[in-house]
Amino acid sequence: MNDGVLLSVRELCTWYELKKWGFFHAGYVRALENVSFDLHQGEALTVVGESGSGKTTLLKTILGLVPPTKGEIFFEGKKIAKAVDIVALRRSVGYVQQDPYGALPPFMNVRRILLEPMVVNRIGTRLEREARVREVLEEVRLTPVDDFLYKFPHMLSGGQQQRVVIARALVLQPKMIVADEPVSMLDASVRVEILQLMRRIQKLHNLAVIYITHDLSTVRYFSERVFIMYAGKLVEEADVRTIVHHPLHPYTQALLEAIPDPDPANSKRMRNVPPGEPPSLVRPPSGCRFHPRCVHRIEKLCDVEVPPMFSPEPNHRVECWLYKS
Amino acid sequence: MSERAEEVRTLAIGVGKGAKQTGGELLRVRNLYLYFRTTRGVVQAVDNVSFTLREGCSAAVLGESGCGKTSLARAILRLLPRNVARYEGEIILDGVDTMKLSEEAFREQIRWRKLSMVSQAAMNALNPVLRVGFQIAEPLLVHDRMPKEKAYARAEEAARLVGLPVDFLQRYPFELSGGMRQRAIIAMALVTNPRLIILDEPTSALDVLTQANIMNALKRIKNELGVSFILITHDVATSSDLADEVLIMYAGQLVEYSHAETGYRHPLHPYAQGLMASVPTLREDRSLEFIPGQPPSLLRPPTGCRFKDRCPKRFAKCEEEPPVFRVGERGELVKCWLYEQTGERYE
Repeated sequence: MNDGVLLSVRELCTWYELKKWGFFHAGYVRALENVSFDLHQGEALTVVGESGSGKTTLLKTILGLVPPTKGEIFFEGKKIAKAVDIVALRRSVGYVQQDPYGALPPFMNVRRILLEPMVVNRIGTRLEREARVREVLEEVRLTPVDDFLYKFPHMLSGGQQQRVVIARALVLQPKMIVADEPVSMLDASVRVEILQLMRRIQKLHNLAVIYITHDLSTVRYFSERVFIMYAGKLVEEADVRTIVHHPLHPYTQALLEAIPDPDPANSKRMRNVPPGEPPSLVRPPSGCRFHPRCVHRIEKLCDVEVPPMFSPEPNHRVECWLYKS
Repeated sequence: MSERAEEVRTLAIGVGKGAKQTGGELLRVRNLYLYFRTTRGVVQAVDNVSFTLREGCSAAVLGESGCGKTSLARAILRLLPRNVARYEGEIILDGVDTMKLSEEAFREQIRWRKLSMVSQAAMNALNPVLRVGFQIAEPLLVHDRMPKEKAYARAEEAARLVGLPVDFLQRYPFELSGGMRQRAIIAMALVTNPRLIILDEPTSALDVLTQANIMNALKRIKNELGVSFILITHDVATSSDLADEVLIMYAGQLVEYSHAETGYRHPLHPYAQGLMASVPTLREDRSLEFIPGQPPSLLRPPTGCRFKDRCPKRFAKCEEEPPVFRVGERGELVKCWLYEQTGERYE
């Protein structure tokens, strides 16, 4: 493993067991299947997928909130296996939740919310903690700090609440931030502000960031590398420009076709998107999971054998039989 | 596509016969007010909104959350809560002044006959113990007192129009996916041949591909049947799929009413310009901007222009109430003092 790699995930599978009936085993929801990737220090990575594609499960598995069924996770070269490792991992990883109002305890004021992680982890003296709270609030531009310290979450606007959540993720000076749809609950005008703030903080502290979203159009403003997930599988990986202008996987192509840019000409044309819905993850389709909806399906191959990762170009991986040679 | 269009055209005979495409006036809203009473004072959710929608045209109502988009829809459809403090103005739908109708007459003549609505997250509001087909046919049974077989046949046509497989009508809502349930709700709004359908965030809870599929279905319905839509959303990019006209609301007021070409490409009002510049685009390379500050409280909105505190182009006159100006050759309306010189005052 080389030096710059902060997080390394190898053939990770997470299955949720269905409710059992007596002794009978009802099966699994295969939420995550064979995902492998490396994340370097200071790198921003975006995972794009529809709801139910396993992107949140990936995040939860990395954070140790859900035990992996198979596969390994390495953080700073150390394998995460025991509970002790998970506690240590969580200390160096900040988590930005999707719904800021739901993520902030309503009975704590901003100062208390930001002190809590340091108190729990027994970091610093009382004065040092107070100083850190002010520092981090300034970093997320909740200034003047004194106006915000004693406010409760319900007194803040959505954008301000999300800033508090980001501040809380930063307070322990993490090496990595994981953000689960950090802007999906915010209005368009605020969304940009928060994305730019996160980008600035990421550059400033040389943080590794995993940003999860269903909205491919915000990705460009945030990261270089993109993962596309479909039905629990990582189907394509490339940098943003390549994904937008030269997508390889038929699913990515459909996704791009489905995303409109604001343009009055849109009302004059139909979007060429495949019908149907993502498959059930209890009994996923055999072979490639996208084959029932795919227009480029190769009979007797796509529906039988699971495609491996191909790399038709440097820095571009795709899980599709079309790129076999 | 063409095959599909053929199919839709033949089906349209039953479902779409109420609509004609003459381009006359379909809906005229004049000086509409809707205020709510709360424990902290009166909320001015819809404040003096006026606009006109032509037949066969669709409008998108855009704005941040809390700007009064949904209240506007509810005011038009008269679906009001109990704490209404002020509800007045003029709403003329298809030549009928609906504000003069009694509650009962409004229910019988307008709601679901001429005007129906798909409300936000409505797919979760389907009755879990009734079959989907019955729920789609129900408006016909109630409002038109249609015989059951005929109503079911119409429900089938409506289902086909929105891309809901006909055998799904025998199923219960829990057996359908989110996208299919949303289609069922749209079929329900469509089944009585209304002239106008108000869609309140019809696709916001759905996946990207499903969303595109449903927008395709709506576009087809619009083109083939000439039904008008009022699409309420905060998703600017998706709204451009359906909109001929754009209504931009800010803090309870309509600040701009323009054609799609102007509204998306060259918005007039400074708020509209900020809103359009903050929309992330996938293909176009441009830097994003944002509007600093917060929208004002609707309990005590600022005097003068409501956007003045956040406006980069404010000047002394903004302290007064900004009038509406008519600018451009297509009659765009904008509520901003900047257009005093170029536009003609509209009242």
